[in-house]
Amino acid sequence: MSTSLLSVENLAISTIQDPRILINDVTFEIHEGEAVGVVGESGSGKTLTALSILGLLPRGVAVTEGSIKYDGIDLNSISPEEIRKIRGSDISMVYQDPMTALNPVMKLGKQLREVIESHEKVDSNTDQRVRDALMEVGIPDVARAMESYPHEFSGGMRQRVMIAMALILSPKLLIADEPTTALDVTIQQQILALVAEERRKRNMSMLWITHDLGVVANLVDRLIVMYAGRIVEAGTVKEIFANPQHPYTYGLLSSLPTTADKDRKRLTSIAGVPQKPWLVGQSCSFAPRCFKATPECSNTIPQLVGTLEKSVSCFHPIEATK
Amino acid sequence: MSLNIENVEKQYKILATGTLINALNGVTISLENGQTLGIVGESGCGKSTLARVISGLEKPTVGKITWEGGEIADKAKNHLRPLRSRVQLVFQDPYSSLDPRQQIGAAISEVLTVHKLVSKNSVQTRVEELLSIVGLTSDLKNRYPHQLSGGQRQRVSIARALASEPDLLILDEPVSALDVSVRAEVMNLLIDLRAKYGLTYIFISHDLAMVRYVSDVIAVMYLGKIVEFGSWDQIIERPLHPYTRALIAAMPDHSIIGNPETLSKTLQGEVPDPANLPTGCAFHARCPIAVSECSTRVPHLLEISPKHYVACPEVSK
Amino acid sequence: MARKEARTKGGLHYYLQSTSGIIGAILVFVMVIGALCSAFGWLPHDPLNQNVNDILKGPSGKFWFGTDQFGRDIFSRTLDGLRRSLTVSVVAVSIAAFVGVTLGILGGYLGRWFDMLITRLSDVIFAFPAILLALAIVSSLGNSWVDTALSIAIVYTPIFIRVARGPVLAVKEMDYIKVSRILGYSSPRILIKHILPNVTAPIVVQTALSLSWAILTESGLSFLGLGTQPPDASLGLMVSDAQSLAAFAWWTLLFPSLFITIVVVGLNLVGDGLRDAWDPARRSS
Repeated sequence: MSTSLLSVENLAISTIQDPRILINDVTFEIHEGEAVGVVGESGSGKTLTALSILGLLPRGVAVTEGSIKYDGIDLNSISPEEIRKIRGSDISMVYQDPMTALNPVMKLGKQLREVIESHEKVDSNTDQRVRDALMEVGIPDVARAMESYPHEFSGGMRQRVMIAMALILSPKLLIADEPTTALDVTIQQQILALVAEERRKRNMSMLWITHDLGVVANLVDRLIVMYAGRIVEAGTVKEIFANPQHPYTYGLLSSLPTTADKDRKRLTSIAGVPQKPWLVGQSCSFAPRCFKATPECSNTIPQLVGTLEKSVSCFHPIEATK
Repeated sequence: MSLNIENVEKQYKILATGTLINALNGVTISLENGQTLGIVGESGCGKSTLARVISGLEKPTVGKITWEGGEIADKAKNHLRPLRSRVQLVFQDPYSSLDPRQQIGAAISEVLTVHKLVSKNSVQTRVEELLSIVGLTSDLKNRYPHQLSGGQRQRVSIARALASEPDLLILDEPVSALDVSVRAEVMNLLIDLRAKYGLTYIFISHDLAMVRYVSDVIAVMYLGKIVEFGSWDQIIERPLHPYTRALIAAMPDHSIIGNPETLSKTLQGEVPDPANLPTGCAFHARCPIAVSECSTRVPHLLEISPKHYVACPEVSK
Repeated sequence: MARKEARTKGGLHYYLQSTSGIIGAILVFVMVIGALCSAFGWLPHDPLNQNVNDILKGPSGKFWFGTDQFGRDIFSRTLDGLRRSLTVSVVAVSIAAFVGVTLGILGGYLGRWFDMLITRLSDVIFAFPAILLALAIVSSLGNSWVDTALSIAIVYTPIFIRVARGPVLAVKEMDYIKVSRILGYSSPRILIKHILPNVTAPIVVQTALSLSWAILTESGLSFLGLGTQPPDASLGLMVSDAQSLAAFAWWTLLFPSLFITIVVVGLNLVGDGLRDAWDPARRSS
């Protein structure tokens, strides 16, 4: 059993003024070399979960309960300077929009150098390291790229540069927040292939945030499904897709067509709209939209029950068929 | 018979630099009444430009578009009005598709008033009718767009499009901006409306699975041209053009699990700049089966099997 | 992104939450009352009446602000000058706003060469410092209050073009405008019903601010000897005359300058209040 790298326990995040719960009771683990996907829609809390690990929550939002332990250290209790050291070198992050994540007025080579400079001493090798990093992510004409600005590159290329920046200090954990959502599908495939390859080479752990179930199907080992700020289902990718037990996961999977479908059966839709986390209260977050809901579901909060391979937070989980 | 797009080209000129952007480079399609045409492609393929040109928002640089014999072109707007209301367009972004200052009931009734479709007394009844057709309750009439969810806003946009009693409805990525759990509802609504009113749809999306779900025929576009055209099952079961095959291989598919191989057959390179079109076949630089002629020879759509067209001579051999 | 539009009722509510807005409104209100008094002739003394026996007397029960070098009541002259300034400014800004907003909206909506022409034209006018340009125009036109108003109108038209054009450009690209066109709505309908409402808020704010600048400009012009001619009362002229008298007759300088300040600051504060009321992005909450 590989060692636990990141351990999040009972994490709760709220707005500070006018307190509203955004995430409640989130618990999961990432082991060394393991890739975990977090799937959810707007309001599910998936992005906040990722941001909270690196202490990057937006202003007005804070962790109110629980712990985030990296390598045994509680990230909430260490000093800002110590967190800064971890960022970029132990834990790295890749964002959705490379245009705003990269400095538009700084040359790419310089931005990559800066990552190294802020964590280590710069020496004669630094430039070569930067060039190697760009080459590794598949940037053609590295010399020219070093001297270019972000706007001179396409979305896919900029994303590769962001990945280079995230990997240059060989982090143990890479957090990715929907980095391919805004990209064309063929470019997305290139980026996913690149990330999968890098992960394999470095035996790196990954936390991949997305709303796209198809993307995580072949990228991660385990999956966490979030809805309205809570985890509703978690487990290995195989288990979840083969036997979705939570009505939300089940509903989601039956509502999305794939090109592999043998015929065009009618999509089953989920009624209603994604719930706002702070309006959930003492109830299952999915109850208002759930076809299996009973009065019990609206009065008590279901707990996440199960094993690492499969756990569900539901009073009426769907029976496993396979 | 109904919609005929003949050799349409569209170029945009950037005034400041004089660069010419080739958005559409020769598109020809025929669509029957009641059919649904799906158009799939990535950035730069011209699908949204095609939507704008078909709806009459913009004029093609070259070529003709006719609907039931009448030409749709940005000319004398007054005589254009009856034609215009018969072709409607639903946009992707539910937030910018509605005037934020207008109550949604007013947005729909405005269509009825401008086109004098019902008598003054019947306007409100008709508005409520339209709202219920798209699955919204009439109490939402007095709400403003910001008070509705994205899915509800999209339904209002559909209701408004239906208000003008169109024959052809162009849907440009109608569910892409919506939450995943809401998409199926709107898709099913579109399918039900089509059956009920005998509508003709043009469904545009980058999501091949969605396009396949709703279309009778599919056109795959690349850099302003159609590279493959066929029925919904032909395109998926027997994709012929290398780009179509690459697109299908790249589609994230949650029914294929734990197969790292799906990430290995990637299409290399990027879409060329529409201001700088490659010579010959636009796809040749990225094509896995390209030969030397491909950089000089411009391919045309050839019928490989009944009603299945491909623009690739290498495939037809 | 959806904007929560503050409708007029909501706008007033927000306006009343702005302290500067309330203070400004009070100041402007008082000044307007004063100017109206002059307009209706409800003044304690005739502004032109010279009292040989009461030359350069300080403030007293008879002459509330004292008298000037010709024995004329400064209080009456101040209110009269205020009336002139306000009249000229209101006329000037009305012309500027009407012409500027029309050109701005048309330029933004029609685009291409028309837009380019209008922006270049307004850039040219913008390039000149306001007072200098007003000076140049007024000296070539004449000294009547109409000429002064016209010259100020020309100087302040470009800002209205710019303020009107911005929202039009932003809104023009919105999908709902494209939908309106596909639905076959006429251009006038789209302009008036769907585009114009986005322009009203910034224009109202700009009007308040332009009024304050216009008053300052008019005072400046009459201070320099252009615009209102003696013996008519004008705040700028009174300040100019007071330059040599202020050392021993402080009241000749204080009151006209004070009134100019009050009305200009008041209008500025009203502009701030309006901006806070109508532009949600700037609200501190």
